[in-house]
Amino acid sequence: MDFVILSLILLAVGIYGLLTKRELLKVFISVELIATAATLNFVMLAPSVSEQVGEAFLVLAFSTDTAVSAVILALLVIARKKYGTSDLSQLVEPEKQKDKSEVET
Amino acid sequence: MILEALTVGLVVSACFAVFIDEAVYSVAALAGTFLFTSALYASSGAIFVAVFQFAVGVGTLAILFLSGEMLGGKIENKPKPRNVIVVLVSGVLLSLPAAFLSFFGATSSVPSPSFGETLWNLRAVDVVLQGLVVLIVALGIGIVLFEKERKGEM
Repeated sequence: MDFVILSLILLAVGIYGLLTKRELLKVFISVELIATAATLNFVMLAPSVSEQVGEAFLVLAFSTDTAVSAVILALLVIARKKYGTSDLSQLVEPEKQKDKSEVET
Repeated sequence: MILEALTVGLVVSACFAVFIDEAVYSVAALAGTFLFTSALYASSGAIFVAVFQFAVGVGTLAILFLSGEMLGGKIENKPKPRNVIVVLVSGVLLSLPAAFLSFFGATSSVPSPSFGETLWNLRAVDVVLQGLVVLIVALGIGIVLFEKERKGEM
């Protein structure tokens, strides 16, 4: 089996979710999948460079991944508290969505 | 054979995490993704990376379960069996190239110390125990929140 193809497939699934899903939680899950794909590449290609360099990149990748997760989760909680929704399409233009719902009612 | 099975499981659980609409099921599928990734690292010889992936995954999942329980509310729509089968089949089909094709020759393997040496001499057992403690606390808080919501106190 080939880990590069596996990480490409994970990357494709993550990018598809990032482009098509509107829920902030789904966006977070897609970002996690993309980060997992990147980490998989770092781990499996590390022995071809140097083990120390690979470990350094790995720790960097894990810490970046955790920081990104924290930021997205904070955004999710703030958006949910402030606007009452985590739908990205409603978060981008809340005024338009309000007007639409008023017209419909 | 084990690597191929882990690959199929990893891609299928990633597809479930993205395509299932309900938040709690989606997070559970993401847990499967982290678990399969960790097992894949361990079976490739990268034990220390596997332990790190497990610990980071446990922390992320604990917070995700809590926020999903806090923000998501009650489960209203269970996934339809037809959708589950479609996602399962598409995940298996997607994972076939990774499992059975090889563009770069042999499988890459990472030189690494043994499992016992990693756990004890490199102190990875501390990381694992901390992860388990975080997971147990998060599960406890989740159960308390769920029970409160079920009784209508929240």
